[in-house]
Amino acid sequence: MATVEVPYQETVPLHHPKTWLGKYVFSQDHKVIAIQYGVTAMAVGLVALFLSELMRIQLAFPGAMPWFTADMYYQSITMHGMIMVIYLLTAFLLGAFGNFCIPLMCGARDMAFPFVNMLSYWVYLISVILLLLSYVVPGGPTGAGWTLYPPQTITAGTPGDDWGIAMMLISLAVFIAAFTMGGLNYITTILQARTRGMTLMRMPLTVWGIFIATFLGLIAFPALFVSAVMMLLDKFLGTSFFMPAIVSLGKSLDYSGGQPLLFQHLFWFFGHPEVYIVALPAFGVISDLISVHARKNIFGYRMMVWAIVAIGILSLVVWAHHMYVAGMHPYFGFFFATTTLIIAVPTALKVYNWLLTLWRANIRLTVPMLWALAFVLTFIVGGITGLFLGNVIIDIPLSDTYFVVAHFHMVMGVSPIFAIFGGIYHWYPKLSGRMLNDKIGLLHFYITFIGTYLIYFPMHYLGFIGTPRRYYETGVTEVTGFYPQSAHDLNVFITCVALFVGVSQLLFVYNLIVSLKKGKKAGDNPWGANSLEWRTPDTPPGHGNWGERLPTVHRWAYDFGVSHGDQDHIPQDVPKQKSN
Amino acid sequence: MSETLDKENILTGTARDWSSDMTTFKGVPWGKAMMWIFLLSDTFIFTCFLTGYMVVRSTTTEPWPVPSEVFALSVGGVAVPLLLIAIMTFVLITSSGTMAMAVNAGYRRNKKLVFWLMAATALLGATFVGMQVFEWSKLILEEGIRPWGYTDDSHLLGNAPQFGAIFFMVTGFHGLHVSIGVAYLLIVATKVLRGKYDHTNLEIVEITGLYWHFVDLVWVFIFAFFYLW
Amino acid sequence: MATEGQQHPIKIYILIWLLLFVVSFFSYMVDYLEFEGMLRWTLIIIFMFLKAGYIVAVFMHMQWERFALIFGILLPPLALVVLILLMAVEADYANATRVQYMGADPTAVPKSPHH
Repeated sequence: MATVEVPYQETVPLHHPKTWLGKYVFSQDHKVIAIQYGVTAMAVGLVALFLSELMRIQLAFPGAMPWFTADMYYQSITMHGMIMVIYLLTAFLLGAFGNFCIPLMCGARDMAFPFVNMLSYWVYLISVILLLLSYVVPGGPTGAGWTLYPPQTITAGTPGDDWGIAMMLISLAVFIAAFTMGGLNYITTILQARTRGMTLMRMPLTVWGIFIATFLGLIAFPALFVSAVMMLLDKFLGTSFFMPAIVSLGKSLDYSGGQPLLFQHLFWFFGHPEVYIVALPAFGVISDLISVHARKNIFGYRMMVWAIVAIGILSLVVWAHHMYVAGMHPYFGFFFATTTLIIAVPTALKVYNWLLTLWRANIRLTVPMLWALAFVLTFIVGGITGLFLGNVIIDIPLSDTYFVVAHFHMVMGVSPIFAIFGGIYHWYPKLSGRMLNDKIGLLHFYITFIGTYLIYFPMHYLGFIGTPRRYYETGVTEVTGFYPQSAHDLNVFITCVALFVGVSQLLFVYNLIVSLKKGKKAGDNPWGANSLEWRTPDTPPGHGNWGERLPTVHRWAYDFGVSHGDQDHIPQDVPKQKSN
Repeated sequence: MSETLDKENILTGTARDWSSDMTTFKGVPWGKAMMWIFLLSDTFIFTCFLTGYMVVRSTTTEPWPVPSEVFALSVGGVAVPLLLIAIMTFVLITSSGTMAMAVNAGYRRNKKLVFWLMAATALLGATFVGMQVFEWSKLILEEGIRPWGYTDDSHLLGNAPQFGAIFFMVTGFHGLHVSIGVAYLLIVATKVLRGKYDHTNLEIVEITGLYWHFVDLVWVFIFAFFYLW
Repeated sequence: MATEGQQHPIKIYILIWLLLFVVSFFSYMVDYLEFEGMLRWTLIIIFMFLKAGYIVAVFMHMQWERFALIFGILLPPLALVVLILLMAVEADYANATRVQYMGADPTAVPKSPHH
């Protein structure tokens, strides 16, 4: 193999679908699967967005929607969180970007196992349908919060403690199966199906981010799978893994001797890597966007790669910083606070490198670039509040307040969404052959960017004055009279902005659809980028991506700001000249 | 492959492979790379299960049943501890051996031998599952062990209810792996015999073998932690 | 794919096969001879890892793989070691709090089926 200088994919025939169904529905082409993943994730994301607006209205104008009960509020919280974290962010960043970028950027014809890849999407779709079906089962979806902590998750009094939680857990297990099928593909393709000259250290950072994130997913999702299985057994077979002896609604249940903290540990052993499963691909995408649109090579490429690897490793040993107030072993706080603060080092390194890439660069404020800059800023803001919450002493008064809500929405909610938007604006021309409309894009960007800060910045203050999260009602009613009027006014303000920003996301959907037909023709390489996906013979790339021969890579993807004929960049497949 | 590419220095060799183009695992077919990574993921599943076992067993304050008594099999009126488990272990190890032989035969392109060895492996695997069914039914019917605790007339009543729960869950999940493995073996064996893999180096046999040996590997840990501890 | 595959003399497979039986027999004897306490646990762990090592190294051909693959597969489970160690500490702590604050009896004797 090593001595035979032919990539394996050049030697095997590609699967060619004959029917329309095989080409566009049950397609094994990674680009079609990417679109399927993306559209599904966006659709389900819009559902989650709608749920968050319902919750905001309830918080600002209690009683405005009499039909919106406390149970529905908790169900909305749970579904919003779970959909956003798993079914939108994970699925979009790995399923859509991963599928689209990996083969194109590595110079492969397709994923290593196209059939398994197709299966991965359809199983993912099943998991989404199962999740949404929980709205029609008796009792509705679970209202346990996205962390699903037992015992309350499966005891009476929590909405959807019967059917709802079953649907949720089964849907998660199915999602894990789908992710595993996709993830094995991504890893195998990156490791074993690169083209000539494409070493790991020449891969664009997008691929690096997706690579490490997928790897994390493959070793972190098992913990979620195991806890889901154990909770299902607790609920439906009466085992006591997580359930201690407990009195519920005056009745003593049959459980005894279980350990609720075990669930939390398993959940966060998955849950913290999950944060980086979402963040690392975003880091990668942003690194590429910044470099391309600032016309300058990425600062410290190798350090960026090692930072991604280091974050990936460290993310596996920080999980219990989500559990400082859970009642775990008292010494654990020290250990996990230390590891948590250490992880700030590689993360900060990445931020510095982005800033140093921008330093004296020829910055073009294109729409993708704006999203990238917004990402860096938002990630810094969210990351800094993470330092507060990573310290046990500061976390204890702040835990379960709106400060936490503001923190994680900034750092792992909005930031990856910015990366997704930026990535879509960047790669849409390659995907469709047409540019997205810049005017609508700018409008969408400024509304979303400014809106983000108007929504989440005040939440920090709400947190400081102790506003608890996950409360159905914090308004100035007689029952909850502890809540100052000024804070409530802030809540109203947040809600108004959130509604406006939420609705204006339709601009983006409109842009996506309209530009498909009416967008400006993009050409092969509208941004003047170097990585291989811009060097395909056709735009959009045809089945098999490349012609007879796979491209040969001679350099890294970041040769910008150099003179190369009449261009300022040298694509990866241009041979090095003898003089250098 | 390792014969043709010499195994290099532990550090420089690793670094060279990881920094080379095209493939990182030199000479490793895609399917095999995928299977290894899948097994890594599966390792995390089983370890999380076993960690859960460790936690519930050390957390509970109720006493844990003594395995050598619970799992004893009486032969002619004498209770022999762990007899059935010893036989099950014997069967599974035997099947691992036949599988290893099948892989060997595969690379010598002896398809008939591959088929029979894989079929033997599958048969031994099915035997294992059968004995597991016997073991379970004995525990459920005779000892009165249930996933949620014990029956009211069980001699074990008063022990930790997690015993049955974790035992049935983990051995059940392992048994599921064995059952899937049996089906997988039979499918691959038939396809090999029919010549579906003739254009390849029959590495599919090794890939199937990796999965099967992994199932055996998990049993080593289950044997130690559930039956001996 | 033009690969030679993992081809090795049958002798070594048979040797490992036999060793697996022997080590299994040893670990069975640990129980049969009713070794208790530290000795029992140490022996169980040693035999367990010995068997696991044989299977991975020879039957799964790990010892003939290149280091790139060996490291890629064997290093990530180190994360599990962290999980196991911390969970062991955590479980002991939970047990201690139950004994201390909830009046549980740490010396309870297991109920046995046969006497």
